[in-house]
Amino acid sequence: MPKRPLSEQVDEAVQAMLVSLRPRPERDPSPSLAVLVPIAQVLRDLPRESFRIALKSDLQRRTSMNEAVAPSPERSLHYMRPGFTSITPYILVAGGTRFVEFLKAAFNGVERLRVPAPDGTIMHAEVAVGNGMIELGDANDQYPATPVTLHHYVDDADATYTRALQAGATSIYPPTDDHPSGDRWGAIQDQFGNRWYIATPKGWTPGPKGLRSIQPYLHLRDAHKMIPFLESAFSAEALGVHKSPEGHVLHATIRIGNATLEIDEAHGEFQPMPCYLHIYVPDTDALYAQALRAGATSVEAPTNKPYGDRAAGVKDPFGNSWFIATYLGK
Amino acid sequence: MKATQRPGRKAALPEGGPLQKAGSAEQADERALVEAAQTDPAKFGALYEMHFERVYAFIASRVRDRATAEDVTSDVFHKALANLTRFEWRGVSFAAWLLRIAANAVVDQAKRVAREFPSPEDPAELVADPGLRPSELRAIENHARLFRLVGQLPEAQRQVVHQRFVDQRSIREIAGRLGKTEGAIKQLQLRALERLRAQMESGHA
Repeated sequence: MPKRPLSEQVDEAVQAMLVSLRPRPERDPSPSLAVLVPIAQVLRDLPRESFRIALKSDLQRRTSMNEAVAPSPERSLHYMRPGFTSITPYILVAGGTRFVEFLKAAFNGVERLRVPAPDGTIMHAEVAVGNGMIELGDANDQYPATPVTLHHYVDDADATYTRALQAGATSIYPPTDDHPSGDRWGAIQDQFGNRWYIATPKGWTPGPKGLRSIQPYLHLRDAHKMIPFLESAFSAEALGVHKSPEGHVLHATIRIGNATLEIDEAHGEFQPMPCYLHIYVPDTDALYAQALRAGATSVEAPTNKPYGDRAAGVKDPFGNSWFIATYLGK
Repeated sequence: MKATQRPGRKAALPEGGPLQKAGSAEQADERALVEAAQTDPAKFGALYEMHFERVYAFIASRVRDRATAEDVTSDVFHKALANLTRFEWRGVSFAAWLLRIAANAVVDQAKRVAREFPSPEDPAELVADPGLRPSELRAIENHARLFRLVGQLPEAQRQVVHQRFVDQRSIREIAGRLGKTEGAIKQLQLRALERLRAQMESGHA
């Protein structure tokens, strides 16, 4: 195989690094690649210029006008709500309270927020799992339950698998080492219809800044058509696409911002489960328009929400709904 | 301006760079800036310019996400400004004083989160002493220097670095925004990384 240009090799390393994945090992690595990777790693923490400028003017205003300690309202904020990544699954579930208990018992979930409805059900809740987040609400007649498939990366797949079963889940298959990914990999279904692939990644480290603990996994019919859609609608980037000789997507990892989701061609008992996904983007209005141009249909035009986000909703051609949001501050 | 690569350079650096004992000419300048700002807080801007990258690099390496890094950085500079008259030059540099405020702010932030959302998996380091090892100080100085060097890149390279690493945009999107081909964007990304690496190596700041 001819050696790929250095710019391509570097870009693949950067792509993977943006979401803390390990890049594919280079077949014929250029020695120049290795010395550039540490530079790229540090650049992930590069400060935003607009923040640097806003903070300076904030401090200057304070010294010149002797203002109170409160930061000025014009302070520019990062587009993601603290604690969130670019992609968060939003699960509508029958029995929200019990589902939160399950997340705590099975996956050491930490309840971050609960907004109850007047009838005692959950209007909205947020549960942190590892370094990821799950949002949920109780299903009702208008919004029926939408179970999802999630990939959950953990330090010890066997221990987590066992805990999930103890918390009431049923086994789909126990963790094995013979999964094509090379990861130690098992699967369960919870009492709420959600499916979880529980995996211990090999070759990279899950952790506070590492691989995302929670990644949506979409089984799709004609999955290969989803990749160009996500690229044009949400400025996504395909990090690794493995196809069968017939052109079916066996597995693909798709990056949006600092997080990823995975897709493959629906097969056997793993059929499409259209779901809700919440994505944080720098400019909701622009991305909403972009998604519609790419073939999404509108669910809700962009509006400012009382909880401090500007948000919109679209549906993709595969039936999944996307909440597009930009954090505006409290 | 030196472009020579000296393998022994690292060992020759004083431990922690400008963060330790005062004494050099550079630190005499800094001392003048601090004293000016103590008399006239409107002059705090010069100190901010001098230390922003260092403080941000330290905090970003210790918190989970960008939004938190920005919150804590903002907090640190507001606190520093409010307490500036209390800073006394007793052999500890202003940078070290700022980083001590930053270390406390990081721990406070982590404690606040742990209190609000107690987790069985909270690592013990949340309450651990934030004392900085010389190797950590060197890493922070290097990160800060890299961040400053990005500002000196040729404009097209600088834009690509910011859009790629800060805004997390895809190559295709950056190409669309800058009106160039995807191949050209990958080249600019490569040139930027190579240039930054060469400058970091040569010690040219």
